[in-house]
Formats: sequence, structure tokens, C-alpha cells
Amino acid sequence: MATPLYIGIDLGTTNSTAAAFDGEKLTLIRNAQGANLTPSVVRIDARGAVTVGDRARRLIDSDPQNTRSEFKRLMGTSQALEFAAAKLSKRPEELAAEVLKSLRKDVEQQLGVAPTCAVISVPALFELPQSAATSEAARLAGFSRVELIQEPVASALAAGWSADSDEGSWLVYDLGGGTFDVSLLETRDGLLRVVGHDGDNFLGGRDFDQAIVDEVLAELLRTQGVDIRRADPRHATSLRKLKRAVEEAKIELSRTDELPLLVPGAFETDNGPVDVDVVLTRARVEAACAPLVQRSINVCLRLLASHGLEPSQLGKVVLVGGPTAMPSLRAQVQAALGAPFATDLDPMTLVAQGAALYAASSGLDGRPTATSATPQPSGRKVWLQYPAMSSDLSPHVVGRLVEGDSGPKPALVRLVRADGGWSSPDSPLSAEGAFVLSVELVPRKPNTFRLEGIGADGKPVPLSPASFTIVQGLTLSDPPLSRSIGVALANNAVRVYFERGAPLPARRTFRQRTVEAVAKGSTGNVLRIPIVQGELEWAHLCRLVGALEIRGDQIKASLPADAEVELTLELDRGGRLSARALVPALSQVFEQVAQLQVPDATPESLQEGLTAARERLSLLRSSAFRRGVPAVVASLAQADQALAEIERDVEAARGGDADAGQKARRGLLDLDAQLEQAESGLRWPELEETVREELAVASSWVAQFGSPTEQKLLDEAMRACERARAGRQAVELQRHLRSVRKLGNAAFYRHPSAWEWQFDSAASRVSEASDVAKAEELVQRGRRALEQQRREELRQVVEQLWRLLPEDAQERRLAHDSGVR
Amino acid sequence: MSLTDRDVFSRFRENAFHVLGLRPSCTRMEVEREGQKLLAMLELGLSEAAHYDTPVGRMPRTAELVRSSMATLRDPATRLQHALWAQLPPGTPAAQAPAKEEPAPWPEAPVRLGWRRPE
Repeated sequence: MATPLYIGIDLGTTNSTAAAFDGEKLTLIRNAQGANLTPSVVRIDARGAVTVGDRARRLIDSDPQNTRSEFKRLMGTSQALEFAAAKLSKRPEELAAEVLKSLRKDVEQQLGVAPTCAVISVPALFELPQSAATSEAARLAGFSRVELIQEPVASALAAGWSADSDEGSWLVYDLGGGTFDVSLLETRDGLLRVVGHDGDNFLGGRDFDQAIVDEVLAELLRTQGVDIRRADPRHATSLRKLKRAVEEAKIELSRTDELPLLVPGAFETDNGPVDVDVVLTRARVEAACAPLVQRSINVCLRLLASHGLEPSQLGKVVLVGGPTAMPSLRAQVQAALGAPFATDLDPMTLVAQGAALYAASSGLDGRPTATSATPQPSGRKVWLQYPAMSSDLSPHVVGRLVEGDSGPKPALVRLVRADGGWSSPDSPLSAEGAFVLSVELVPRKPNTFRLEGIGADGKPVPLSPASFTIVQGLTLSDPPLSRSIGVALANNAVRVYFERGAPLPARRTFRQRTVEAVAKGSTGNVLRIPIVQGELEWAHLCRLVGALEIRGDQIKASLPADAEVELTLELDRGGRLSARALVPALSQVFEQVAQLQVPDATPESLQEGLTAARERLSLLRSSAFRRGVPAVVASLAQADQALAEIERDVEAARGGDADAGQKARRGLLDLDAQLEQAESGLRWPELEETVREELAVASSWVAQFGSPTEQKLLDEAMRACERARAGRQAVELQRHLRSVRKLGNAAFYRHPSAWEWQFDSAASRVSEASDVAKAEELVQRGRRALEQQRREELRQVVEQLWRLLPEDAQERRLAHDSGVR
Repeated sequence: MSLTDRDVFSRFRENAFHVLGLRPSCTRMEVEREGQKLLAMLELGLSEAAHYDTPVGRMPRTAELVRSSMATLRDPATRLQHALWAQLPPGTPAAQAPAKEEPAPWPEAPVRLGWRRPE
């Protein structure tokens, strides 16, 4: 049996790497220059010839109009990048495809096979459009099948594979060129579990370089009175050149204490050329980067706290990514987290190695099908199901004879390990022609098994496949979803379809109802179902990642308000989303998910957002002072810092830096969520009062009408509320309060008069209904049901009345114009 | 029957221990092993894996349900919740099944939505 080829690729912002795994050993792929790292830089010359990697990187300063880097940060946006000489524009995924093509070619040169499948790593907090763009890049590069893995999970898999016995909790601190990810993992019994993720999609080594550039520009202003602004498009090339010089200086400063930085004629100004001539000291660089390192540490501490862990409970910290080589970063992280760093692991290639291991556990053999299309051994065909990689030493192998295949049928089957050390008992086939056998694996080795058939006459019956291989080692069964996904409802709430951490693939269907009618034939009339990603309970605070639209010109008949829509969302293992809406009234299914794209970030829209955030911040601050809430005042200081950073990015976006524009867009969304938290901090006394009241109400209902299990669950939820209250965690408290409310409601509706009370309340709002005549008819029906004590009918009436009551227009606009409730 | 009772019913119906056919005292490795076996059997369409028993009756088993049950039991907090419900004796008032499953909105619906293969 030929050796399998599992390929893993780390498609990085700055550098990319490929690794191969053959079931036993990991091999790093070298490029034409003999290096493991290929710079993620693409150049297209006037003839349209494409150069990738180090040769392209060397031209980034001298020929910036035709050389592009850091396009990973624009993945999933509509931002096209221009190549002036060739008069071409390319989407970020097309440029990523060039890097992937180059790596694929390197694999072919080193191992003799051009892989058709691979696993590609993406940052854990990549949004769906960014993941979709990565898959598209792989397809353009010639991969017929690709799976995505989150970078920290890949690092942990690789670190776990090389460790002998590591049980307990770990943290993977992954600081790449453009993104920061942190993951809390737990290894037990050879199983790796991702306990939680956090991160910052826009914090990376590049921001460290930018911080040092800002420091240099501040010195120019101080010493020479020259004000160089990132908003000025004239300086774009010079700033890139300065950044490159700073990047090199930063690396040198990890070995020396000070270094002169000299760039003659760096900037052209109205008063002539300006030289950059400053002395960079290690202390100065460290001071410029320290707030960014602290930002990453805060993310780590937040992740630990959200899982009730102290840094002292960590077994180790795995460092991943180039910037983690900075001595000051290591010292700062070590001081804050305390846990030892995992040694003997290469932070630059760990992700690619983990991706290759994951390809093995997914059975994603990269050899072209042509290789496996060599003449199959003849024999009765069997469908086999077994884990390609297993942490369990005794996994199951399940098989079933293929129906309709001719040839002798075995009466018994057995499995024999190729090393002769183990064989299964002879197992009879079930009535369905199937067998389930447990096998024994040799630890940390590829284990090949022969599948043997025995006829009723005791003679061997050849079976196909005749053999298969299971690799024993650390596995991650199903990748977890990094952020919750749901549908924005017209009242600005979110109906969560998949919770964060849900195993992928996943599929769920819920019934929604339309809030208004859609007229047949009208193109302007659209039912919009926005799909959002995020953890906050309001739709406008979550990221819009797609929308399913049903237009008037697509429907067979007009769709009334309050029509039922059965919406199914589906995510594959790589986190790719598809959505289907079934409208029973029309017997039609709609499947096209529109706008799977990160929204554009124009300087005008960013400025608008910035002004609004500034006003909101100032109102909040005065309110916090007036009410005397120091905790909120302190939290607003962080918001101030974030606002200043966003201002800098908006300025750079005005100067033509699309990446900074995206960073600002994301920053504004995060700031919005931060201000929302601060507002709930201000409302803390009211929230505490609400919690007290709701707990009392729920306790009373559950005590009267709840089951013993509900009582136990309520006790548990009340304890969780108390913990959140003690820690002043408003979002957590609201989350647990929802559980309390649910349990209370379950018990409440068992009260004999519950639906009567709900009916009275709904009937009092009948004049607001979207269809008053229908609502009044329902009220009459409800009254009759009440008189005749028909409770079930009364319940139905109330539910129908609820659906006719209006949603607030303002809330609907906030909810990305959702047309469903 | 109120919607909330339906929630209670689903806690029995979708209990991860029932779905995987395991006892609340099972080890973590048993969860992985049993889940892997059931997924393999479902993939091959073996009738033995097609249903599971709960205190409210026999339920159809799907690969999605098995995967999410495995994830539920990997997390100690969610495992505890499911263990509570799995230990509850059958026949409690809250555990009464609805009179009938709701019919599909139109006959081909489950197939179009990918839940069921065409007969």
C-alpha cells in the first residue's frame, strides 16, 4: 500500500508554510530557495508574469505599484488590488491562490506528487466571508478538496503530537503578522478539546511595526517640526519603506541595545526632502510595543476568566508566530501568565505541521485520484468506515457489503493487523451484510489491517479493499465553531442557530415568520433574512455575514404577512455556510445566500461611525461621573484608547490604506460592543434589581409547578447568577438570567390561568395589529374559547395574536432590515 | 400542550446519553468510541443504529445528533445537565410525549431540506 500524503498549509499574512505527514513523520516543505517560509507576497510585471515569495518581497519597496503583500487581511472584502504595469486588478483571494499554487508546486518538487487536497489554517476569529474566500483561493490554486482548521487548534495538535504525555490545560498564544489568537485547550486521555477561543482579528506583528513607525514620526515632528500624516497619499510609498526599515531594525534589536535608523530623503514635503535619522533603542521599541503586548495579555486573561481559571492553573503556554521571538514580549507574557513556555517547538512552522496532522485525522489524502485509480484488487466490494486517525487504542471498524456487487459472499470476516501482533475473532455478517469490529492499535504508529473474508465452505473470499490504515495519535474529532451564528430578527434580537463551540459540521432548522407581505412580481419587494455572527444578544452588535433574500419576482404567489418560513442553516467542517428557506405556503425553496462579504469600509462611512462613537462616549462619561460609578469611568479609559487607535486607522484609510480601513471598521464594531457593556455597567443597580425580582418570580413558579429536575436546574442557574453578580459581569448575568426566565416560564405556563392572562394582555393591544380585522376576529374567538374553557384553542389564539402585533421600525432597521420574527 | 412543555420533552428526546446509548457514569473515552461507532453505522445505513430509546419513546438518530451529543458530553458543564435529565426515571408528568409529531408542511419538505432521503 503506497504511503499517504497529508498536506497542511499555513497561509499567513506575512509568510506561508507547507508541511506533509505520511502517517508517521512530519516533513516541512522547502521552496525553490531551500527555505521553509515563503513570503506571502505577489508581484505581477508588465507582461503579466507572476512572481511569488522572496523574489517578489525584494521588490516591494522599489516597485510597490506591482507588488502586493498582506492581502490576507483583506480576504472576504470586495477590495481589489491594482497591478499598474499589467493593468490588472486582483481580488485578495486570487493573490492568496498564487501563494497556494507556489506552495503546491514546492510539494510536487519535493515529494513528486501535486496534492489535490489539503488543510489550510485560518485565524480562529476569521468571519465566515473570510473563511469562504480562503476556500475559494484553494480552489483557484487547483485543490479539488480543502478543509480549514483554526490556527490555534493546528498549533495545539502539532504541540500535542510531539509531546509524550501532556495532560491538563494549555494556552496557545498565537501572534501572527496580522492577527492574534489565543486558545484554551485541554488534553485528557489522548483527546484534545478546545475549551475556548478569544483573540483580536486586527492585532499582529504589523501593528508592532506601525507603533514604532508612529514613534519615529513623532520624533520627526518633535525635532524637525515635520508633520507626516498617514492620511496624505503622497507619503504612502515612503511610509511603506520606513516600515520595512523599522521591521528589520526591530529584529536586530533583539540582539543589540541600540541601532541607528537612517533613511535619507525618506519623505517629500512642500519644503523639500526630509531625512529620517533617529537612534532606536531596545528600551524605546519595547516601550512602543508594550501596550500592544498588554492588549494581547488582556485577551488571554479574559479567556481564562471566562472559564473560571487562574493563570496559575495553566500547565504551559505554546508560543506561535514570528513576533513571539521578541525577548520583551516573552518576558511580559511570562510575567503575566506565569506558566512555562513549551520548548523545542518551532513557532514559525507549528501551524502548518498541525494542519497536516489534521488532514490525516480527516482522511484527506492529497494524492491525486489517478494514483489510487491503479487497478483495484478484485474481490467482493465492502463499504468501510473507520477513523483515519484515532486517539482511542480500540476504535471500531464498521463494514457493509456493497449491494448489487456480484461475486462470492463471505459468511465471516476478520481483521488482521499487518505486523501479525493482533487479529479479530471471526465475525458473522448481519442480515444487512454488515459487521462491527473493534481493533487494537499500536500507539503512535500507522496501523495497517488486512480485511479477510471466509466463505461458508471455509475457503478465503477476497474482499475489496483488502487493507486499510489507521494512525494512532492525538486527535481532534470535530472542529468547534469559533463564534455563534444566528438570524437577526425584526425586533433586533438574535435567534441563535449554532452556539459558539458547536461541533462542525452542523445543521439546524427553525421556523420563522414574515413580518410583512411580499407582493408577487415586485422586484423592489424583498423578504430579507440576515445571518449574523457574534456573541451579543442584539443583532446590530453582531457581524452581518450574509443574507438570504426572497424577492417578489421569484415567488409563485404573493406572500402574506405572518407566513411561515422554515429556515435551515448548515455549516460544513471548514465553517462554510449555506442557508435554505422553505416557504410552505408557496411550496418553494430559496437557497441563494447573498453578500457573503465583509462590508466595505469607505472613509466617509468610517468617519460617520467615528463621530457617533465619540458622542456616545462623551455622553456615557458624563453620565458615569454624575452617577459616581468609578468602574465604568475606568472602563471608558480603554474605550478612549480604542477610539484614538480607530482615529489613526481612519486617517490612514483616507490616505488609501484599505487594510487600515477594514481594521477601523472592525474596531468601531468592537468599540460599540465595549460601550454597550459600559452602559450596562451604568445600569448595574437596575440590573441587580431586575435579577432579584426575576429570581423571586421564577423560584415561586418553579416551586409550585416545576419538576424536581427543573428545581435542580434553577438552583444551578441561580448559583451562576450569583457568581456573575459577585464578579459584576453584566453580559454573563444576563445570559444566566435568560435560563432562569426560561425555567420560570416553563412552570408559569402550567398555571391553569396562564393563557387567560396572556390573552388579556394581547387583546388590549389589538388596535396596533398589522391586520386589525383578523386580530379582532381572533379576540372574539379567544373570548368564546375562554367562556367554554377550551385552553388549547385559547393558547393558539394568543400565539396568533402575538404574531400580528408590530415590531418597532427603529429596531428592525438596527436588525439589518430583517423581515422575519 | 404549551411550547414550554415541548422544551421539557426535547430535554428527554435529545438527551446526549440517550442518543449515544450510554449511562451517565461512562468515561470520556467511551463517549468517543461509541460516537465514532454510531457515526460509522449511520453512514452505512445500518438499521441497528437508526433509532434510540428514551423515556418518552423511540426516536430517530441522525449523524448531527450524535456529533452534537458527543460535543455535549465532552464539556463537563453541559454533561452535568444532561446527566441530571438522564437519571430522571421515565414517566414523570413533564416527560409526556406530544400526541403526535407535527406533519411536514408539504410532503417533499424533509427531502428538499436534506433531512431524509427519498424513499
